[in-house]
Amino acid sequence: MVTDAYSVREGLGEAAAFYRSHPLLNFSYFAIVIGVTMFAMHPVFLLSSFFMAWCYSILLRGIKAIRFNCLVLIPAILLMTLFNTLNVHNGVTVLFYLNDNRITLEAIIYGLASAIMLTSVIIWFSCFSVIVTADKFIYLFGRAAPVLALTLSMIMRYIPLLQHRFREVAAAQRCMGRGLKGSSWIKRIRQFGKEVSILIAWSLEASIESADSMEARGYGLRGRSSFHLFRFAGGEKVLLAAILLLGGAVVAACAAGSMSIYYYPAILLPRFTVLQWISLAAYLGLMSIPMVLDMRGIHEWKLSHAAM
Amino acid sequence: MEIISCSHVNFAYPGCEEDVLKDVSFSIRRSEFVVLCGKSGCGKSTLLRHLKKNLMPYGKLEGHILYCGEEVENLDDRVSTSQIGFVQQNPDNQIVTDKVWHELAFGLESLGLESRIMKQRVAEMASFFGIQTWFRKNVSELSGGQKQLLNLASIMVMQPKLLILDEPTSQLDPIAASDFLATLKKINTELGTTILISEHRLEELLPMADRVLVMEHGQLAIDDGPREAAALVASGVCREMFYGLPAVVKIASAVKPEGRFPLTVREGRLWLEECLGQPGHETPEKNKRPRLRPHTVKSAQSTSMPSVVSMHDVWFRYGKTSLDTLRGVELAVREGELFAILGGNGVGKTTTLKALTRLVKPYRGTIEIRGKRLEKLSDMELFHHGLAMLPQNPQALFTEITVREELLEALSDEKLPEDEQAARVAEISREMELDSLLETHPYDLSGGEQQRLALGKILLRQPAILLLDEPTKGLDPFFKRTLADIFKRLCQSGMTILMVTHDIEFCAEYADRCALFFDGEIVSCGTPKEFFSGNSFYTTTANRVAGQWFPDAITWEEVAARCGGDIK
Repeated sequence: MVTDAYSVREGLGEAAAFYRSHPLLNFSYFAIVIGVTMFAMHPVFLLSSFFMAWCYSILLRGIKAIRFNCLVLIPAILLMTLFNTLNVHNGVTVLFYLNDNRITLEAIIYGLASAIMLTSVIIWFSCFSVIVTADKFIYLFGRAAPVLALTLSMIMRYIPLLQHRFREVAAAQRCMGRGLKGSSWIKRIRQFGKEVSILIAWSLEASIESADSMEARGYGLRGRSSFHLFRFAGGEKVLLAAILLLGGAVVAACAAGSMSIYYYPAILLPRFTVLQWISLAAYLGLMSIPMVLDMRGIHEWKLSHAAM
Repeated sequence: MEIISCSHVNFAYPGCEEDVLKDVSFSIRRSEFVVLCGKSGCGKSTLLRHLKKNLMPYGKLEGHILYCGEEVENLDDRVSTSQIGFVQQNPDNQIVTDKVWHELAFGLESLGLESRIMKQRVAEMASFFGIQTWFRKNVSELSGGQKQLLNLASIMVMQPKLLILDEPTSQLDPIAASDFLATLKKINTELGTTILISEHRLEELLPMADRVLVMEHGQLAIDDGPREAAALVASGVCREMFYGLPAVVKIASAVKPEGRFPLTVREGRLWLEECLGQPGHETPEKNKRPRLRPHTVKSAQSTSMPSVVSMHDVWFRYGKTSLDTLRGVELAVREGELFAILGGNGVGKTTTLKALTRLVKPYRGTIEIRGKRLEKLSDMELFHHGLAMLPQNPQALFTEITVREELLEALSDEKLPEDEQAARVAEISREMELDSLLETHPYDLSGGEQQRLALGKILLRQPAILLLDEPTKGLDPFFKRTLADIFKRLCQSGMTILMVTHDIEFCAEYADRCALFFDGEIVSCGTPKEFFSGNSFYTTTANRVAGQWFPDAITWEEVAARCGGDIK
């Protein structure tokens, strides 16, 4: 049963096959896909990116993705298109006049295209946030500068700690009869300020001990390295090569101008030649890599459980 | 071979006339387990910090401190980092990264080791400490005990030769503290690491130690084996340390001050057998063991005293689908009593306090405060001259820059004339013994003084009911007695105190009634005598030692008196 491995409601989330891949793969994939989505304004490429982004976001985030995409992004597309239509009066095909302003077909189409581009990028980023978690980010930057990696890791440590402390401060103040329900809002704002200042004083005091603990474990010695738990296995090298190859082809095609399109003053589509077909295929192939991995994962899991 | 040797060390902080360390000389051999004890503020931490290069305090230092024959000051940074480990008091403040595995590797990263070697070392230590199951967790999800073990492990990965610990278990509950100390013992015996630890709770540490150092007013007063040191303290050297000794030692010192002192419960039993003979079956006292009444609200209501706090059939759970944290709690606290709720971790003790202060809302049952239903009271009625709670961390209350202003702040929203305010602050600071510290910054106070300042602040609000969450955590034994005296005085003046604690010995000695919380409900309740004398494990050390002879003797004084000892 598919439902064992993948629940449509919840989405795959951190169970996704691509989630377990090396951060370098995750990062290069999203960098290329989001980059190409932003620069390739050819309608065929735009729509394919839009479609793939929808598929992957639903696979990863389940019903939440559908809800967000439908309720927030579709209205946003309509709004952006309307905005462009009413504000831009370039273009040769005049449909009608509104308050002495030209409403042109080109403006409508360009508005729609850029709205779709923007929403695709947003959806891709929602997938990115599932796949690339903070520790992957930390790892990637740690390769360049270990201190930066450490700083990011410390920030991730202090956010929950400060939240916890703040709750404790607020509870302690309440039990002293401060900041209660029913007191005036000026009093409550002053009380909030007081609680923040307690939090700051307490945290500064605690950070002295943290600094000692870092110092005691050799912080500041020359030649700091960065530890991680990621492995770059053999299969991942092949995958990285595939991502770079397909991505390279698409980027090259972009750079050669095969995906550029003129919207103003009149829409000018380049002819769809063999080269365009090849780059479209490469683009679709690139975008589908994580989904293929997931499908393979679900299939493997089913097989291994069927055998038992 | 000596790993540490100090000779004639004097030290003064800048701007201070008096030396914190006065002519301290001692040495520690390889693989020794040494315990350093003394009253708070006697210079223990200052001494320990001098043994680690990067943590040496600024000030005027005389004398020599040598690590393996070399001045600690001149040690190579890498040698100092990897060979001398230092664990501090607070589990939370020492952790700097977000993941357990990253924290473990922190020191190795500083030393610039290769990823492959780090992986091996981290794996090795995680297995030694049993960290595998929470290796990939966020540090914020760990318990206090786990956090402190992580701090220890993240130092042990660097394979230090000397491990220095400054009151590492003071913020832990007794079970986590035992686990931590057992791990230390394992490190000492299996890895041969030299250990120097400062601590208040000697009950478990004394039997583990090879040697005990006792400090008093910056001087090293005792440097001897654990039995000999205990005998010296019992005979009157460093009198203040006496309260920190294990109960068996205290009993033995009162009964037979000249013999060889027992250190553990096992030794204590054998020693009593020598003194009193086998606990016979015919011991008449065995039958006189007071029966523990099953706890019901009725039994509390039937007495003449009205209950000030009462809970009836209170149920609560944190999540919609999670398990119940409180399962039908029945509780009745009478006016003017010191009521203690005991129990392990995560059984719902703190949640009970949260329910009383309305931080959580039970889905079933009734809670009454001074005869009124809790949900009918407004916040103002509940907290103004009603309920007050002392938080576990006193820092959560501190806003000002001196103790005096801190106390005045508590009165800031009550419209009192200035001289009245000053009078009340003066009274409370006398009561809390803070007179001499009025111009000090709250963060410069010791743990016990901060605790008293927070308590003083709360008391200025004149509550009728005081809730305390682990009030004895991190206090030295001497301080606990001061605190107990304060509680006694407050109860006599009519205040009701409800406290949640792990500290069995404290409750046995000072509480009016104790209740055992287990699995979301109160399973037994009674006076300390009724409560503890029925238990064989969950009771005071003195009772565990002498329970077979005197089942109803709870404190060490009672046992010693029954054995015919004289208590000074």
